[in-house]
Order: sequence, then C-alpha cells, then structure tokens
Amino acid sequence: MNKFYYLIGQSLKKKIKSKWFLIINILLFVGIILFINIDSVISLFGGDFNDEKNVIVISDISDTNVYDTFSSSFNNNMEILNNDTKYKISFSNDNKKDIKKNIDEDDILINIIDNGNTIKAEVISLDKINNVFYQIITSSLNDTKKVVSLYRSGINIEDYNNINSNIEISREVINDDKSVDENLELIMGTIFPILILPIFMLSILLVQMIGAEINDEKTTKGMEIIISNVSPKVHFASKIISGNLFVIIQSLILGIAFGIGLIIRNNIGSEATNSILDFSMIIDTLTKTGIMDKLYFILPLTIVLMLLTFLTYSLVAGILASMTTNIEDYSQIQAPLAIISVVGYYLAIMSPMFDGSILIRIASYIPFISGVLSPALLMMGQINIYDVIISILVLILTNYLLIKYGIKVYKEGILNYSSKDVWKKIGKALKNK
Amino acid sequence: MLKVENVTKYYGDLKAVDNLSFEVNDGEIFGLLGLNGAGKTTTFRMILNLIDDYYGTITLDGEKIDYSKTDKIGFLTEERSLLTKMSVVDQIVFYGRLKGMSEKDILKKLDYYLDIFKISEYKNKKIKELSKGNQQKIQFISAIINDPKLLILDEPFSGLDPLNVELFKKVILELKGKGTTIIFSSHRMEHVELFCEKLVILVKGKSVLEGNLKKIKEDYKKKKIKVIGSIDVDKIKKIKGVIDVEETKIEYIITIKDDSVVKKVFDYIKTVDDITKFVVELPSLNEIFVSIVGDKYDE
Repeated sequence: MNKFYYLIGQSLKKKIKSKWFLIINILLFVGIILFINIDSVISLFGGDFNDEKNVIVISDISDTNVYDTFSSSFNNNMEILNNDTKYKISFSNDNKKDIKKNIDEDDILINIIDNGNTIKAEVISLDKINNVFYQIITSSLNDTKKVVSLYRSGINIEDYNNINSNIEISREVINDDKSVDENLELIMGTIFPILILPIFMLSILLVQMIGAEINDEKTTKGMEIIISNVSPKVHFASKIISGNLFVIIQSLILGIAFGIGLIIRNNIGSEATNSILDFSMIIDTLTKTGIMDKLYFILPLTIVLMLLTFLTYSLVAGILASMTTNIEDYSQIQAPLAIISVVGYYLAIMSPMFDGSILIRIASYIPFISGVLSPALLMMGQINIYDVIISILVLILTNYLLIKYGIKVYKEGILNYSSKDVWKKIGKALKNK
Repeated sequence: MLKVENVTKYYGDLKAVDNLSFEVNDGEIFGLLGLNGAGKTTTFRMILNLIDDYYGTITLDGEKIDYSKTDKIGFLTEERSLLTKMSVVDQIVFYGRLKGMSEKDILKKLDYYLDIFKISEYKNKKIKELSKGNQQKIQFISAIINDPKLLILDEPFSGLDPLNVELFKKVILELKGKGTTIIFSSHRMEHVELFCEKLVILVKGKSVLEGNLKKIKEDYKKKKIKVIGSIDVDKIKKIKGVIDVEETKIEYIITIKDDSVVKKVFDYIKTVDDITKFVVELPSLNEIFVSIVGDKYDE
C-alpha cells in the first residue's frame, strides 16, 4: 500500500514540480485575471477613447428647432446605450466651410440640411468615428428626421408614438423546469462556452498526460523495473489517481485565478461597466431565470459529472497507453477520444439550438460527452435532474466496466513492446481469464 | 535458493521455454546462456513474476515468488531501464522506494556505490547527460541498492570498458560473498567463465547443456593440444582421432576427438627433438557454446 501511495505522490510531484507547470499556471493566472478585467486594463494603458468629443451641429432649417430635437435624442441614446464616451454638444452659427477649415481631431460636425418635406444630414470628422458613437449619431439623426417629417405632415407625435410602440406582452412559463427568460439563451451562448472550456481542455490534457507518462516509462524500459516491484493493477491505479488529482488541482488553480480576478474587478474595476463580461447583468439574468436558486443541486451534479468524466477519460487513456510503445503510436490511437471530446464541447455550446430534441437528450447520457453536455442542458431546462442522474449512473457503470476489463488489457499490454495489431491484442487480453 | 522446476511457457503456439529446470544455491553465480530469442529474458521475467501464466514452479527459498518477495530481488535489464529525464539521485530513490527502502537508507547506499564506481560527481546530473558506460553503472546500482537476496543481471557488461568490467566484477563477487544468489546472462563467454560456477545453455527455449562449468569442460570430449616444435603436420593429421591441426605464428593447435587420442599424439611428439611445449587444454566455454548451440540450432 505504501508503494501505491508513493507512486501516486511521485507521479504528482513530477508533474507539479516541473517548470512548465509553473510557467503555464503563472501565464494562466495572469491571463484569467486580465481577461476578467480587460476593460480596466485597456483603460489603464490609455488611448484616445477617453478624449472628449465635440459635436457641433449646424443647420439651415428655421421652421423647427432641429438642434433641440437632435441634442435631446442624442443625450437619451448615449444614456440608454450606457456609452462612456465623454462629449460636448453645441449649435454653431458659423458656416460649414469655416468650421471644416479649423476642424480638430475630436470635432464632429453634423450639418442638418432641409430636404423638401424631410431632412438629410452630413457628418464630417477628421478621422474615423468610433462605431458605437457613430450609430448613436445616426440614430439621433433618424429621430430628428422623424420629428421634422411628422411636424411638416401635420401628424401629432403622441399619436405616432402610440401607433409605433411595441405591443405590451406579459410572459408566463407554466413548466417550472423551463427557463422564464429567453435572454438566458444569449447568456448560455456567450458565457457557457467560456465556462466549459476548462473542462474540455483538462479532459484533453488528462488524456495526453497519462499517455505520455506511461509511454515514457515503457520507451525507456523503466517499466520492467517498476512492474517487477508493483503489480500492473497498482501501477494503473496510481497513474489514474495521480492524473485525476492533477486535473483537480489544476481546476482549483483556475478557480482561484477566476475568484481573484473577480475580487480585483470589484475593487478596482468597478467603474468600468462597458465590458463584454458584465457580471451583474449575467447574475441578474441567472437570478431571474431561477438558475441561481437551483445552483445548490446543479453545482454538485456538475462537479460529480465532471469528476466521473475525467475518470472515464483517464481510464481509457491508461488502457490505450499500455498497448502502445511510444508517444507517436499513442497520439494516433487516442485521436478518436479527442474527437469525441470536441463533439461533446460543440454539442454543449450549441445546445440552445436543440430545444426539445430527443437525440440531444439521449446524447447527454453518453459517457465522455455527458460531462459537458448534461450540465448545459440542465441549465437550459432542456433536461431535468433525473436525466442527469441517468448520465451519472451510465458513467459509473462505464467506469466500473473500464476498470474491470481495462486491468486485463493493462496487464497484458504494459510489458508488450510490439506496436503491431493493437486492437487484436486488446481483444485477446479481454478473453484472458 | 532459487529453484526452477519443469517450467514451460507458450506465446500462442510458440514454445518459448521448454521444460526448463535448474537450481541456484545461496552465494552461487549461475549463467543462463543462449542466442537471442533462446528464452533467457522470458525465463528472467518468469522468475520475477512479470509473467505468471506458465507451467511448472519457480521458488525462492521454497516460496513462490510474488510481489511480497520482490523487495529481495534486484534486476538489471538488458536494455537501459532508466527514466532518462530524472537525475541520478531521483532515479535511484525512485527504484529504491519501490523496493520498500527508506529514502535515508537509499541515499546512504547511493553515496557508497557512487564512490566505488567513481561517479560521485554525477549524483545530481540528469541520466540523459551521462555516457553509456556511466548509465550502465547507475542501472547496476539501482539493481543492487537493496542488497538483494537474488540478483538477476541481463547482459551486465554491455557498454563497459575493461576497467569498468573489473569494477563490476569486484562488486558482484562482494555480493556473492554476502550470500546473494546471482543469475546472469551474457553473450561474452569470457565473462561467464570468470564468474559462473554453474550454467545452462538454452536453444529455442530448451536446455541443451547444464551443470557445473568445470565438469562441463572436463566432460566435453573435444580437446586441444598446444605444441611448440618442428612437427610434421601431415603425420599428425594421419593419427586416428585428430580432427584438425592449426598453425599459428607461435604454436600448433591440434584438435582431438577425445582423451584417448592424447597418448597417440604424445607418442609421435616424443620422436621430435626440439619440442619445448606440449599442453593438453580444456576447451573454452566459447568453443563449447559455438559447437553445441550451432549443432542444435541447425537441427
């Protein structure tokens, strides 16, 4: 038993003490923290995005106050879209030619021109205008055009707004399992791929790591000495356990980096609200959809699924590695495993498209992909807790069978140095008593 | 004592080892000889319990060898079995711990053996940075670090120069003196002759010659007579029982069929005036090996 624990510790120590582990984790740590605080980082380095824009409006229209209409709409749009760009808006009586001659890089000249029953406009600037800011100008000009046109056509603005306003909808979903807010699909489409990416990457890492370690010992014939001192069963178990412990440690490190990133964001990055990662909005949506209330079972189930899936991958990786003699052969033989993993990842991120599909529900029971697919479907409300329990039971059964028959294959293959007829050898090993 | 009794191993339809039996007493050095593919490595693997699906029995001190006994066994593989990315000290600690030793004992023994093999300065170097000969020394140290009761050496002198062979020889004889049972295989018959008291020669998994080395040599009928003097080669060749006469720069080597021919040759030699040397020599192990294995291999 001491040798078993020693092998686990030795294997784990070898991985964790390597300089690559340290370098990669420092990079990951820094990368995650920077990613979470990307808006603050961009602001920190400065740039012209904080310079005050000077919006100058000129117009030849006299029957209505187009400047008031335009500036009011512009201010509203800036507020609605939560745009941080600093600006100053003013009306000028100077002519276009004079303003153009002295135009500065932060100046934007808007010339609103009479066009029969309606208006048209010119937008003049020294350089390209930020896309969002330009959209706000366009939208405000459209609003102004609408007001001028309605006035000139004798239509009351309130009547027009009533006709044009959106219908009021009261939304109710009777099935408690289903998400109440369709915005969740948007969140799942953007945030979920980021969240499950580490699981996917760690599965691939686990397969590669176990294969490389076993093949390293086989290639150097060190395996002869190891297996003459510990049984193949003990060796197999030590590799699987150390590999899984490693990915758990790696997951925790990623989690800690994510947590530190959030803490930093809350403390120093709170002013930056124009981020793609607007956590308050995400948490708000998750709360509204009821997912936050269900986290007490979604989270443990996801962790159990994840751990069982890691175990499945590592068992198959260990079995395949025992039958190969070098890392090149192993890379070829483990390719289907990597493909299955990629399929699972894509199915999970595309899950909002498969609402109600029986096929996708059955796919969520399949080992290897259930680890990422089941939690995704559960959060989307496409499957329920019983489906996840089925996935877990299928994984437990798969792992049991892999251990039972995998040890036979491992024992047969671990001291076999022929790379010929690998599948035939596996078949033969399975038939052995 | 190691006892191998009627051991047979099949790989599919191929009989890799065929009804092999031998005994090695404590403090004895035993040679397991044969061409490549003769079944030597399979036999070693069966002794080490790396292969357990064989017929017959293998016991160490009367008990079947399993993982509870392997701490008492040392094994040096024919090919390098070192994890080359490790440092020397890490490698020996790793294998030593797998033998159930404490790290403190391993480090103490490691320092002792590194000193004996004159490679103390490589203690913290990576295995891959060492020369082939020094790697072989590390591999040897890893096999004996636990003071084994049974030591299996598969081609131990591979990659070693004559000075290092002497160092190995010294340590092997020290272990023998401590009562270690040693089995080794080698293609170099002069090394086998140096150490082994007993041996077995395998051809296609079957024992074709076994027993005490001295007795094997004595019992081997073909002998050589070495002569210096002006002899008539044609006359010698005509003596019944003389197989061949070879002339070297120094002497004549007369190969005879058996001991009965010695007197006939001597009777002729007595007639020659300037004879300064007449020696009847036992055959070398190499000659016996080539003769027996060659004959059996052709069958």
